[in-house]
Amino acid sequence: MPKANPFAGYDAGDNYCELFGLTDTKPQTGKPQTGAANPLAKRLSKYNIRTLNQRNSAAERELHNLGITFTVYSDAGAIDRILPFDPIPRRIAQSDWKKIDRGCRQRVTALNAFLADVYGKQQIFKDKIIPRALVTGNKNFRKEMVGVKLPHNTYTHISGVDLIRDESGNFLVLEDNCRSPSGVSYVIENRHLMMRSFPDLMEGVKIEPVSNYGQRLRETLRETAPARAQNPRIVLLTPGVFNSAYFEHVFLAREMGVALVEGRDLIVDEEDRVFMKTISGLERVHMIYRRIDDEFLDPEVFRKDSMLGVPGLMRSLKAGKVAIANAVGAGVADDKAVYAYMPRIIKYYLDEEPILDNVETYICREKDDLAYVLDHLEELVVKPVGESGGYGIVVGPKASKAEIAGVRRAIKKNPKNYIAQPMIQLSVSPTLTKNGLRARHVDLRPFVLTGKESWVLPGGLTRVAMREGSIIVNSSQGGGSKDTWVLR
Amino acid sequence: MLLSRFAENAFWLGRYMERIESLSRLLMVTESFAADQDSDDAWAPILNVFADTETFAEQGKTLTALNVARFYISDANNSNSISYASHMAKENARSLRHLISTESWRQVSVFHNSILTLQKRRFALSKLSEICMSMRESCFTFRGVMEATCYRDEVWRFNQLGAALERADQVTRLIDIKYFRFDRDDDDQAAPPDVAWWNTLLRSASGYHAFQRRYSFNADPSDAATFLLCDPYLPMSVTNAAEMALYQIHRLDEDFDAGAGQEIKRAGAALRERLKSPPARLSGRTLHRYLDQVQQEIMALANAVNDRYFAPA
Repeated sequence: MPKANPFAGYDAGDNYCELFGLTDTKPQTGKPQTGAANPLAKRLSKYNIRTLNQRNSAAERELHNLGITFTVYSDAGAIDRILPFDPIPRRIAQSDWKKIDRGCRQRVTALNAFLADVYGKQQIFKDKIIPRALVTGNKNFRKEMVGVKLPHNTYTHISGVDLIRDESGNFLVLEDNCRSPSGVSYVIENRHLMMRSFPDLMEGVKIEPVSNYGQRLRETLRETAPARAQNPRIVLLTPGVFNSAYFEHVFLAREMGVALVEGRDLIVDEEDRVFMKTISGLERVHMIYRRIDDEFLDPEVFRKDSMLGVPGLMRSLKAGKVAIANAVGAGVADDKAVYAYMPRIIKYYLDEEPILDNVETYICREKDDLAYVLDHLEELVVKPVGESGGYGIVVGPKASKAEIAGVRRAIKKNPKNYIAQPMIQLSVSPTLTKNGLRARHVDLRPFVLTGKESWVLPGGLTRVAMREGSIIVNSSQGGGSKDTWVLR
Repeated sequence: MLLSRFAENAFWLGRYMERIESLSRLLMVTESFAADQDSDDAWAPILNVFADTETFAEQGKTLTALNVARFYISDANNSNSISYASHMAKENARSLRHLISTESWRQVSVFHNSILTLQKRRFALSKLSEICMSMRESCFTFRGVMEATCYRDEVWRFNQLGAALERADQVTRLIDIKYFRFDRDDDDQAAPPDVAWWNTLLRSASGYHAFQRRYSFNADPSDAATFLLCDPYLPMSVTNAAEMALYQIHRLDEDFDAGAGQEIKRAGAALRERLKSPPARLSGRTLHRYLDQVQQEIMALANAVNDRYFAPA
């Protein structure tokens, strides 16, 4: 088999390329620039496609054996699927990372200030920066949290800031995630896998490490536990093995060295204290990192039919005897409707300009925006507010006539429920296919931890749309992931 | 402090992996004997020992060596099968993943994947011995990996406790395969298994050579029974397994402030007493009855462990 440059035929089109930047990615202009100026590209160009595919298969087998999987349950039993892994790393220059790091911390600081205000004095409504009804009428607003004081005013302890990169290479915030964002386990496992499968690719490259995330998370949770607890016991509350993200719950509990509990392992006593059931009896719990949605957390207060939660948890929280991360009601801040106001929210609380811009957003509850959206449905990406995981999104330029007509009816019926954004071409990154390295769209989810202060895990989860041309990167919709290298 | 639920997972992970090992051994022993015989009669006793005769018949299966072997290896619907045990071991391990070593989880996972492959390919009888051998080796590997990599905490203790109780229980079943029929026969001497059968059993329990050294001359089947059940130095013996179980309970008490309580102590003492003083000649109906009693003591201890540690507070 002839040894061909794996970049032969690589074409990033009009998109920003994470490896080659703006130039030199079209086959007709000759080979992509893989010289000394781009050592990673140079190294990659030395592999042949078959070797890359063989190593990739071995890596995926290893993922399966290690059980780095999400589980799909059906009548036929439990099927462990791996998140498709692409071995070609996504590169982030140190200068770009500095901006992302500052921008994410700024954003999360503003989100926490916003949440503390919304569940506290509600000054932002009085100052007419954002409509009160948009926030308090939101399905993720929890009136039970109004007036509850939290340590360090931290509401979103663990945040994921979804970033995309436009045609000219600017990072833009696509959405905020304040409700137990998942995916951080893949960031760390992808790195471990790369170290095992492609040591030669990494040799001598200075990359920011990611493996101390567990310690950082534990420290964040310790800082935000009730102040009275001298030596707080932390637990991770999972819905259980049937949850598709169970692997991540296992992973994080283990990296932190804390107990992984289910609702049935916990009880709240008459004095509003939380305990877990152990082999030597009941043991006090002070801090709960929950991976269960608000509605299922406490059947005394929220959904009565919840089998996953713990009756009395909200009592304990209000009595200051337990703390919960992320805070109940934090989801109101990551709503797509609130997102549109984020530049104004940052300015209001921090008196700063946003370091990372929003994608331009039309708010259908505002009359002018609604008219524009209905006129330009074929060009816009329409998103229902209050959803996550890429559900319900209609991509105008790729939608059928019937889909456009459907979303038009839906918007007219309930405009408050929608926002729209122009179609942004996500940047691309070389991705391994059977035919060689090809351009596939990627996004980036950095993870931000906030206790007393915020810290950003260098890199984050790069999700990649494995299908040619697709811009939907969500794992629930067939996306994969890559290792993300922040170069030092 | 360990959650009761995880203690139970660790216990059952130990039990299921041990069950796979002894099932493989049982099938190997049966296979090596059936090979000498013209009929498939040698396979019926397995169904008896696991009380599966009816279930097997209800599924309209004919009693052939291959059908019984597949029933106990690859039939995931049979809760006494290796497939089922492997599935359960993996599910218990899945819950425990943050508490056991990565290497142990990997081993369970790889093993289960090999069982799934086995389910897809309908294996031939000629492959049975090879399959059983490789499954036993996987179980040994699992034990070795656990031994080499697991932190010696409560999870480890419960895992070892589960494995020990299962081993004790399974050894009694292994012997009973030729003795359960003494339950109805009046004649104490009705056609006992021959020396060759006992030798195979001893070999399968990795005890043949030790037995030869220990008893050298004039050994007879009742000595082999006493050896397999009560020898304190044979890893596979019931006595050894029971002592190991009691040791784990002791360490849970000592190191982890998880006191055993009256019921466990009583059941433990009863089992130890029973194993210390077996009837002089373990053969025929005497042996069957003794196996029955030992099995019941083991079960009583397992129940006491369940009530004390796993039942929610």
